Amino acid sequence: MVTKETELLDEIKSEFKVDGRVQRKQRIWVSTDKNKLIEMCNWLKDHGFVHLSAVSVTDWLEDGKYELTYHLWSYDDKILITVKTKIDREKPTISSVMPIWEESAQIHERELHELFGVKFKGNSDLVPLFLEDWGGPPPFRKDFDWRNYVREEYYSKENEREKVYYD
Amino acid sequence: MIDEIEPAPKDSDYDFYFGPAHPGSGNFGVKLKIDGERVVSARADPGYLHRGFEKLMEYRTPIQNAVLSDRLCVLEPLNWNLVHAEAVDELMGIDVPERAKYIRVIMAELSRIQSHIIWYGVFSIGTGFDTGFKMAFGYRDYILDLFELITGGRVYPAGYICPGGVRRDFPNGARDKILKVLDKMDEMIKLEELENPALDVRAKGVGILKVKDAIRLGATGPVLRGSGMKTDVRKDEPYEIYDRLDFEVPVRNEGDAYARYWIGIEEMKQSIKIVKQALEDLPDGEVTVPEFKRPKVKVKMPQGEVYIRNEVARGEAAVYMVSDEGSEPYRCKIRGPDFLHMIPVLECLLKGAQIADVPAIYWSLNICPADMDR
Repeated sequence: MVTKETELLDEIKSEFKVDGRVQRKQRIWVSTDKNKLIEMCNWLKDHGFVHLSAVSVTDWLEDGKYELTYHLWSYDDKILITVKTKIDREKPTISSVMPIWEESAQIHERELHELFGVKFKGNSDLVPLFLEDWGGPPPFRKDFDWRNYVREEYYSKENEREKVYYD
Repeated sequence: MIDEIEPAPKDSDYDFYFGPAHPGSGNFGVKLKIDGERVVSARADPGYLHRGFEKLMEYRTPIQNAVLSDRLCVLEPLNWNLVHAEAVDELMGIDVPERAKYIRVIMAELSRIQSHIIWYGVFSIGTGFDTGFKMAFGYRDYILDLFELITGGRVYPAGYICPGGVRRDFPNGARDKILKVLDKMDEMIKLEELENPALDVRAKGVGILKVKDAIRLGATGPVLRGSGMKTDVRKDEPYEIYDRLDFEVPVRNEGDAYARYWIGIEEMKQSIKIVKQALEDLPDGEVTVPEFKRPKVKVKMPQGEVYIRNEVARGEAAVYMVSDEGSEPYRCKIRGPDFLHMIPVLECLLKGAQIADVPAIYWSLNICPADMDR
């Protein structure tokens, strides 16, 4: 059945030669190479996806990859499209989408830089947002065990109330 | 004597900290650079309420996360319960019973009404109208009484809207009590709509956000609608039973603090209309699917990913949940409307404002630091 979702997906596929699927009504998922990301985002913005709903990182520890997801909403077509791209986990660097979605992209990227350590090339301001004087590794990485961190930094085995956390 | 007083230095710049532990700011700070009476630049300083929910949820099962999702916003926990529950429902392919859908909408709308009442209250106190604040918190208690009756908790429902439906059915007499409380809300709206010249002066033409800027800065919900964009997730992408309900989306073109305040009042009227319709059509039946009847500690979620958007009182809320067949979500990204409203939008609006207008602008954005810091 031809819907506006499948039409749009076919258009993206023929334009960029990428994988994608229609999950359900109003939901499209597309995976792309990180080199094509900016070009694709520009194209999508020109096709009505003016609202950057969120940017997220999924840490795939076993594959050694970070998966970045850009969730875009079109007020005209009423479709949410998610653009996914994978980058290396150890040296996470990617071009910023700040030239495209401006301030809203800037703040989402700033958050991810702090929590996952992703470097966004071209973002004007990546100062930490939430954590003050944090010298440790990016805290939202899968290999950062915050329970262990709290035990070591703040709890004591001798303390009657806190020793249960060592069992 | 007067001649002895030195004139003010030409360079009258100073820094002003609005928050984070200030009664007029909530748990959130803005650093303002001031020249005389004018704000030269504003820099948001979040983090005072950061709890790391996204990480906490990776260690917990959906039932535990339902309780945790209360705390995403102090002022509207039920709406956040709903976003989280819908994400798990879609991921697990759960078909929620009809009665549960109606109850979810009724609770979410009641929560929206009390959240908008708080908005009115804090906006009033921000503009120096203390009576409005006391009135608002008095009337809000009627809804909290309802929440206590239905969910067991006044402010935090402890995951009342949980994956698979709602935790328990309405108790006897809940329907009549809700209708009585709605009459009280009508009373509150009448009070809010009384002519208030002081508020008009403080709010009209203050903190103007143009629609082009609003989209660029990522504004959603009442803030975007106050700038003249007709959009509402409940209409654009109806979830639960919103496609069957008859309600309007109030819009205003001015984009100032007064427009946003007006949107808040109009939305309360629409929410009352929604609750009445949903109560009218409320079907009989189960309120939760069999597999969630007893809260299981371990529920396996199939592999997949979903992105769920909802309209909460403050704007667009979303949850991006990824599962790798575990009993906990592999990743749970939470998108709160205030993350955008309190950093880019606020910084943009405060720039160039008079110092006396700072609270009016601040509270007109219907902010909640809890869902920004997460």
